[in-house]
Amino acid sequence: MTRAILLVTASAVLLVACSSAAVPVEVDPIPSTTPAEVRALLEGSTRPVMVNVWASWCGPCRSEAPLLRSAAAEWGDRIRFVGIDVRDTQAGGRGFVAEYGLEAIEHYFDAAGAVPDDLGGFGVPISFFFAPGGRLLTMHSGVLDERTLAVALDEILRSTP
Amino acid sequence: MEFGLLAAALVAVGTVRLVLALEQGRTNQPGQTAAAWDAAIVAGLVGAGVGRIGAMLSGGTNPLAHPLDVVIIRGGVDTVPAVIGAVIAFTIVARHDLRATADAVAPAVLAGLAGWHAACFTRGACLGSATDLPWAVGAPSGAGRHPVEVYAALLLAAAALALILVKRRHPFAGVVAAVGFAAAAAARLATEPMRLAIGSDLRWWYAAGTALGIAGALSAWRFGIRRT
Repeated sequence: MTRAILLVTASAVLLVACSSAAVPVEVDPIPSTTPAEVRALLEGSTRPVMVNVWASWCGPCRSEAPLLRSAAAEWGDRIRFVGIDVRDTQAGGRGFVAEYGLEAIEHYFDAAGAVPDDLGGFGVPISFFFAPGGRLLTMHSGVLDERTLAVALDEILRSTP
Repeated sequence: MEFGLLAAALVAVGTVRLVLALEQGRTNQPGQTAAAWDAAIVAGLVGAGVGRIGAMLSGGTNPLAHPLDVVIIRGGVDTVPAVIGAVIAFTIVARHDLRATADAVAPAVLAGLAGWHAACFTRGACLGSATDLPWAVGAPSGAGRHPVEVYAALLLAAAALALILVKRRHPFAGVVAAVGFAAAAAARLATEPMRLAIGSDLRWWYAAGTALGIAGALSAWRFGIRRT
């Protein structure tokens, strides 16, 4: 019986869960965007672009935020990091950015979640990796781990002419 | 849900159980096998939890404010606190016969780690740095990359087999476990140059783990009690 409980607990530990803890902070609004504007940004970029779709109410997004902060600090001079805050409140989104120190990432607000729909993704978080000029190289649904992110960023860097 | 990660964990746990069952069939010591299994499961759970909390703290997340985030394993598990937590938990659970239990579980744990790394196929996380070697694995761009997790799996599987053979020679108690610890750290140390990482360099920790395991094996051999 004890072993069965241990096994069930071990399985439960590995399941991904979401919590709904948002941080209400009074700050400047995140600029709103549309799918057309994001497409134009991607097509006009001379650097590879990582687009991360997130929301302050998303637990896995909070989990991967420190990794994205480190990646932007390490690769930000060669890769353009873009965050799309979807189906969120402005206060919640800005509080999230401040709490995790994500100011090195360009953030845009997408209340309807139209941008990830246009890019072909589903769910939150989701990350898209684009070569310069806007060609999609790879995408990742769900929370990122360090190795997956490092390989994906290396891939889009190698796509740079 | 990260089903790939869950599948990898199940492969690892299943491999541990399989190797323990095979060893039990050979040694006919069911009590020791059961103790080793329980201690391994508890150590694995505690290690994962401590490692996850360590990753949250180092990333600026308060575990008390966001307790559910502890279960998001894919978001990061700090290896060093995870290993320390697992070793302490194992020591407590198996304190009555620590060295014998550690010896019993060591080959199975190495095999389980091999299964965990080999299950990178289910997680889509096999790729390492770029290479032109013939066995390179294709990345989304078509470029070849080291299947670094497969390398680690092969090294750990070979180490598990070697440990089983060493164990059959009835060495001093604790030697098998210490050699296993050194082998696990050395396998990570050997594959680390082919891994891509963001802001984390654990090579010195793996080197220290290898040295600690070797020192432990020598100490057990020098001052140990020969098993029968």
